[in-house]
Amino acid sequence: MDLSEKKQRVQHREVECTTAIEVTNLQFAYSKKSKPILDIKKWQIPKGEHIFLSGPSGSGKSTLLNLLCGTLTPSKGKISLLEQPFSSLSNRQRDTFRARNIGVVFQQFNLIPYLSVAQNINAAVYFANNGNFKNTKEVTAATYQLLNRLQLSDSLLHAKADTLSIGQQQRVAIARALINDPQLLIIDEPTSALDTDARDSFMSLLKDVAADSTMIFVSHDEAMKSYFEHHCSISQLNGSLGNSASSSSKDTTNPMQERA
Amino acid sequence: MLSTIAIESLKRRKATAILTILSITISISLLLCVDIVRNQVKTSFTRTVSGVDLIVGAPSGQLNLLLSSVFNIGTPTKGIDYKSVESLKTNNQVSWLIPLSLGDTHRGFRVVGTTNSFFEHFKYGDMQHLALSAGGVFNQPLSAVIGSDIASKLGYGVGDEMVISHGLGNVSFNNHDKHPFVVSGVLEKTGTPVDKAVYVTLQGLQEAHSGSQQATASIVRKPADNHIKTSDEHEHEHEHEHDELTQVNYDSDAFTPQSVSVVMLGLKSRITALQLQYQINQSKKEPLMAILPGMALAELWQIMGNIEALLLGLSGLIVICALIGLATMLLATMRERYQEIAILRTIGARPFTLLLLVQIEAMLLTIISAVLSIGLVGALMNALKPWLSGTYGLFLSSPLFGKSSAIIILLILSCTYLVSLFPAITAYKRGLHAGLSQH
Repeated sequence: MDLSEKKQRVQHREVECTTAIEVTNLQFAYSKKSKPILDIKKWQIPKGEHIFLSGPSGSGKSTLLNLLCGTLTPSKGKISLLEQPFSSLSNRQRDTFRARNIGVVFQQFNLIPYLSVAQNINAAVYFANNGNFKNTKEVTAATYQLLNRLQLSDSLLHAKADTLSIGQQQRVAIARALINDPQLLIIDEPTSALDTDARDSFMSLLKDVAADSTMIFVSHDEAMKSYFEHHCSISQLNGSLGNSASSSSKDTTNPMQERA
Repeated sequence: MLSTIAIESLKRRKATAILTILSITISISLLLCVDIVRNQVKTSFTRTVSGVDLIVGAPSGQLNLLLSSVFNIGTPTKGIDYKSVESLKTNNQVSWLIPLSLGDTHRGFRVVGTTNSFFEHFKYGDMQHLALSAGGVFNQPLSAVIGSDIASKLGYGVGDEMVISHGLGNVSFNNHDKHPFVVSGVLEKTGTPVDKAVYVTLQGLQEAHSGSQQATASIVRKPADNHIKTSDEHEHEHEHEHDELTQVNYDSDAFTPQSVSVVMLGLKSRITALQLQYQINQSKKEPLMAILPGMALAELWQIMGNIEALLLGLSGLIVICALIGLATMLLATMRERYQEIAILRTIGARPFTLLLLVQIEAMLLTIISAVLSIGLVGALMNALKPWLSGTYGLFLSSPLFGKSSAIIILLILSCTYLVSLFPAITAYKRGLHAGLSQH
């Protein structure tokens, strides 16, 4: 695919797509006999929004993120991502969609420890295989650019992931999540291992580099709310399960998050 | 990219990977060694004698007769009266005859008493004649023609003297000091037991044993009949015809010894071989035994076939054990690789990619082991070459690795593919459910 074709495709995608995430009548249980741990009637996030999703441990945050990533499939209901019927796609199509459109940053253990920074980032490019880069030179150039934006030294490019500090690893993980220019970013408690100063620095960098993407930022730490305009709690979303205690949270002001 | 991940992943588990490679390397080497020795033995034995239709000796086993006469292995059978040889000479069906007298050595190398007819008629490999790299054939009763390995190992050349010893051991206390033989020629390398043998005249050998001093009484005849070409002469046969005979004026065939150990026969027509064999075996004057070299070799392969199969089977089992060890190693690492699997899945790797990744790792380990094995076995065989030829009469010829080696390696790779399916499927299954909460 040449560059003009790629641009056309991106422009077309941007014009067409206004809703990043749309969840309808979603239910999920780990087994048929067990009670659903998620039951979301409707949840919609417009493109470009940065959402803070909170909830106590075990409330189903990670399960929801796995459903959004496609590593889990809903027991019932529908998930549309970027206006694609994500939950109806085949496993293979979901994997390809994830590689090309979703960037993921974990709480920790973000990188494959035995690979270098460059190899970790290249792996994401390899699996996406979306024709964004013509050759490895272009990947390297984009990687350098991202590392610089994330205030990481170029010399780290060939360092093994497990030789980096936690903070550096988190930044490299962001670089890897962003290398394919994803439209959706899913960030799962990335600051839990960072101190307050590092957390501030990390958050401002994240907001900066992910300005053009839709981002769901998950944390059980309510203090992180302050970095986001829009927020909601998992218990709010999980309305039909009777977790109405969280309904007092400020996120109700967000018009785009509709609770059933 | 997948191979990079596989390589880096193996580097991460260096110690277990090295131990696994070591065990697979040893097992593949063992299998390759068995295969090479098996093939080389066949090649070596088959190419040692060519064109000899019958071998006649005193009654014993046909293998014993074949091994002692052609391969210089084992103890020679008791002698046969030369009158029997004379009668064979006069047989209409016989084209040529080579008498061999065995039982002596020179510094551990077998000494074979014979006549110039040996150099004229004996063939090896693909009906190749013996050729001389230096000197000529027997030119006096105490002449010796030596194999190329003896010349290079003992540093002998034409004109050097050598003393032979009675018996077959490496060390002998019964040297025939009073009858030193003079090297008249050095044979070109053949890759057969000929390279490690000293050929002397029957006359010289008998005199050395009897202690008589008649050796100087050479029997001279027209040299035209007992000529052997040197390698150069083979190439320039016509140009140098007048030079060929200058050094051969001794008729080694004219001497009549009391007995010889074995006689090799060339027949006018091969079709008569079985008939003549029957006649000789029924001989009433002296009990004799005639064998067909091809049939004796077939018997040898039959005996060796079972041992071969056993050795190959055992080596194959050892390889399978090593491969199961490889699968166990990969399976054991799956638990610690859960986080890695989760990361790969979330950046877009499909479960099938994870399956492939584990299989690439297994294949890499086996390929590395196979390459190391080939190097190791090649080096080992080259290092053991002199010992194998000296002790077992096994002459290794190139190429060491043939079609069967390639088949073995391919089979091992196929087995690796199969056994690696176990850890690979585990990775696949884990990959199906690996997600954010499980790393």
